[in-house]
Amino acid sequence: MLQYIFKRVLLMIPTLFGVAIIIFLLLRVVPGDVVEARYMAQGSQFLSQDLMDQERKKLGLDQPLWRQFTSWMGGVLRLDFGLSMWTGSPITEEIKLRFALSLQLAIMATAVATLLAIPLGILSAIKQDTWIDYAVRVFSIAGLAMPSFWLGILMILGMLIIFKWLPPMVYTPFWVNPWDNLAQLIWPALAVGYRYSAVATRMMRSAMLEVLREDYIRTARAKGLWLKLILARHALKNALLPVITVIGLEFAFLLGGLVVTEQVFNLNGLGLLFVEAISHRDYTLTQALVLIVASFFIFVNFATDIAYAWLDPRIRFR
Amino acid sequence: MAKLLQVENLQTQFLTSAGVVRAVDGVSYDVDEGETVALVGESGCGKSVSALSIMRLVAEPAGRIVGGRILFQGRDLLGLSEEEMRDVRGRDIAMVFQEPMTSLNPVLTIGRQLTEGLEIHLGMQIEAARARAVELLGMVGIPDPARRLTQYPHQFSGGMRQRMMVAMALACNPKLILADEPTTALDVTIQAQILELMQDLSRRLGVAMLIITHNLGVVARYADRVNVMYAGRVIERGTAGEIYANPRHPYTLGLLRSVPRLDEPIRAKLDPIEGQPPDLTRLPPGCAFAPRCAYRVDRCAEVPALTAVGAPGHLSACWEAERLAKEVAA
Repeated sequence: MLQYIFKRVLLMIPTLFGVAIIIFLLLRVVPGDVVEARYMAQGSQFLSQDLMDQERKKLGLDQPLWRQFTSWMGGVLRLDFGLSMWTGSPITEEIKLRFALSLQLAIMATAVATLLAIPLGILSAIKQDTWIDYAVRVFSIAGLAMPSFWLGILMILGMLIIFKWLPPMVYTPFWVNPWDNLAQLIWPALAVGYRYSAVATRMMRSAMLEVLREDYIRTARAKGLWLKLILARHALKNALLPVITVIGLEFAFLLGGLVVTEQVFNLNGLGLLFVEAISHRDYTLTQALVLIVASFFIFVNFATDIAYAWLDPRIRFR
Repeated sequence: MAKLLQVENLQTQFLTSAGVVRAVDGVSYDVDEGETVALVGESGCGKSVSALSIMRLVAEPAGRIVGGRILFQGRDLLGLSEEEMRDVRGRDIAMVFQEPMTSLNPVLTIGRQLTEGLEIHLGMQIEAARARAVELLGMVGIPDPARRLTQYPHQFSGGMRQRMMVAMALACNPKLILADEPTTALDVTIQAQILELMQDLSRRLGVAMLIITHNLGVVARYADRVNVMYAGRVIERGTAGEIYANPRHPYTLGLLRSVPRLDEPIRAKLDPIEGQPPDLTRLPPGCAFAPRCAYRVDRCAEVPALTAVGAPGHLSACWEAERLAKEVAA
């Protein structure tokens, strides 16, 4: 098992290196660069080539590609992502707070999704084809059909109209004031978590239905176990396997994928930063963001596999 | 000997899109204390469903027990509440299933699966249950039982898993074990080992067994009495010796003749039963075997009842049992 973990950790290095090369090249294939983007934003129509070249030289964009790449990689190895090409401030500073916010939101939304999906999925499976099952299925399909930003708008409007109250609109880090922090983040977490619970609920339901038809469930019943024990001890562990995959993938996606929801709730998260960085052609910032999100994805996948091995001895002992 | 189990006129049906499948259609048989009884028939004749019906484990809502009585120690199991039935399952009646590969839970240790019945039915504490589990694994011939308890089913071979199933069935000292095709999924050499083991243990511990099988060879050696089933009914019953020496139903005769024998010349043609088993949603009126039967007469449009023929305890549901006996003897 330890050997397996070690191997997986080692494999992360070439994967991340590949990601770095691809994003580095892709950005430079896309037409335009940060200098053009800036002058465009200022509304200038006639640009002096000299001025632009000077700017590029300042940012190091006149260097050959391999040198740009090695100097970037050299920084990354020292965990120094350099300066943003757009604002000129250190990227680590730009990202720090937003990462904390996005990570917290992703964790809370995933918690909401998991807490909804697992009990609802199980309930739906054991009450198959009753009104409870139908109600759960309608509830989860509705979650899938409603965009979470729209649900977010409804929530905010609802709170405003019914309770004459609005959640705080300025982000407070959890370690500064947990209460204010939660009062703000719980709403987007609910909106996003509800939406993401839909797929997991359906997965839980179908996995549970499948497991309940297995021979070993019949064996357990033939031993005289009662239903709750059969569900908790014999069925759940087996049925959780596919659900964990879904939840893991969703969790990783949430870190950088909540652009619109972040805007609705006035949250300064990674999603918005991502969009801005790309439209500004801010190479250094985009590269840093992609690397961070990719590392997160790889880490979550790794954690999912470990959870698999923990649940399923057939994997553990291979 | 006292009757341990009496199945009377049991009817179990399945609702399918093709109609009502009468899987078990008025079956009656019984098992004495400590006795080994076989239920023989081809796939789909209702033998497994009748065993699942005894345990009340027929898959609902499609499957339903619609009639009959199942008396176990004089108590009708069909009249028990689900809770009372749970106490019977695993403690009074245990089951050994056909597929040792899929009948054990892959994510739980052997020890966990072996001790849970002991904890529930006998109220044993973990330590006591563990000790009993070691004893049980030793009893079914699994070496190094203490270490084996911590392992998972995938670390066991097929034969060992079936031994484990037997150990699990014996755990709470049941009165009756229902063995549903216990050796079908195993290698031939392992089959004999498992059957020897089951016979030995059932005699030593005085447990009655109902062996469900399609294999007449198994029956010959291990069963005291045999029930032959066809299309949801018992069509012949008798001691194993009687059934072999003097079959009194054309279907039993056909089954016996279609078994390949080692003492026949090589390339001797097998003698199969012509035709297909009937569609259980549309059983013909009268004897269900009639369309395939070489002894068919006009009277076969009426269902023949199980009636005594020949030796005591030998019953056959065939109008032409006498003619059959004469021809076989000749």
